[in-house]
Amino acid sequence: MNGCLRLLLILVAVSSANAAFAHVPIVGVGGVSGGLLHPYLVPAHAMSLLALGLFIGRQHEQGIALLAFATALIAGLVALTFAVGETLAGEVLLGNAAIVGILLAGAWIPPKPLTWIVAAVTGIAIALDSPPETTSIEEADLMLLGTGLGALSALGAVVGGAGYLTRPWQRLGVRIVGSWIAASAILVLALTLAR
Amino acid sequence: MIGKRFLRQRIFIVPRLLLHLFSLALILLASSASAHVGDGLAGGFLGGFEHPLFGPDHVVAMVAVGLWGAFLGAPAIWLLPVVFPLVMAFGGALGILGVPVPGIETGIAVSAIVLGLMVALAARPPLWIAAVLVGAFAIFHGHAHGAELPPGADAVAYSLGFVVATGMLHLCGIAFGLLTRWPAGRIAVRAAGGAIALAGAVFLSRLI
Repeated sequence: MNGCLRLLLILVAVSSANAAFAHVPIVGVGGVSGGLLHPYLVPAHAMSLLALGLFIGRQHEQGIALLAFATALIAGLVALTFAVGETLAGEVLLGNAAIVGILLAGAWIPPKPLTWIVAAVTGIAIALDSPPETTSIEEADLMLLGTGLGALSALGAVVGGAGYLTRPWQRLGVRIVGSWIAASAILVLALTLAR
Repeated sequence: MIGKRFLRQRIFIVPRLLLHLFSLALILLASSASAHVGDGLAGGFLGGFEHPLFGPDHVVAMVAVGLWGAFLGAPAIWLLPVVFPLVMAFGGALGILGVPVPGIETGIAVSAIVLGLMVALAARPPLWIAAVLVGAFAIFHGHAHGAELPPGADAVAYSLGFVVATGMLHLCGIAFGLLTRWPAGRIAVRAAGGAIALAGAVFLSRLI
């Protein structure tokens, strides 16, 4: 009986303990998994990656844009390990999403360097907007690694999927999604400015 | 025999104790009820999604945009739903920043009347006029809803839900508007336009 009681008390104690909040969308999921989920579950990040993926996926040359994104993302994540303070990355990310959304809605293909810049800005902004709020350096590094992998996999998946959207109604759908993303980003940017 | 009875009693006692302890554990684990579900990612999106759906003036005007787009055919059928959210966001930004726009509620009611009449009368103005008209009304709708953006909810999720719901209302209008391919469908769509204009007149009469 004592064993049963002890087991139940342990169960109650363990279950009622709150998990450490380490800037993860799902409380209690940390490490690589927490970082991996971060770009998928933070709305601004997911929205920006969707917009950029659709934007790059519509273009013939995708390699340099993807490379620019990856390089900027890694640079931002490395900068975070040197404890970069609070930045305007969130606002920059939203502004960038609004621009990409408008480009998508208008079905405009800008000059290639502009695409590379947009990709690089998205990459570094996502990285700098993902500071892991944890006291453990090892945990923070794992989360940053996960964030990098998550952002790269998300963008790769959207770019790959966008390549299949070739029918007229699918292209139209991309334009509508672009206008929704731009509208949402503009509203939130205004809210941020108002605060 | 006594041993077996004792054992049986033990077997019943232990589950009862376990039951009590388990109940205690459940009571201890129970969190407080969350009456306000607008917080968080899902709550923010759902809050934004349901916001335009519970405003009848907004609903009828958005459906009218879709109906009119379908009536006008390509490229209006896709141009209006693409233009509307962008201009609405501009209006929303004005509302959030506190820039006053006169006659917001009147403009929303008038939008239902005008857009409904356009559908009912099967009006086919040049595309740019249709786009300017829809865009102008979008500012009123955006301003009204932008000013109501709750500060507590996840802003991005809320705004996404709000914009997606508005887009879905357009798509509902477009889907219904596709009935114009058939003669009876044209009558049904024009009747729906008339009903929207009438609803707009009711909204306007309440304001006066």
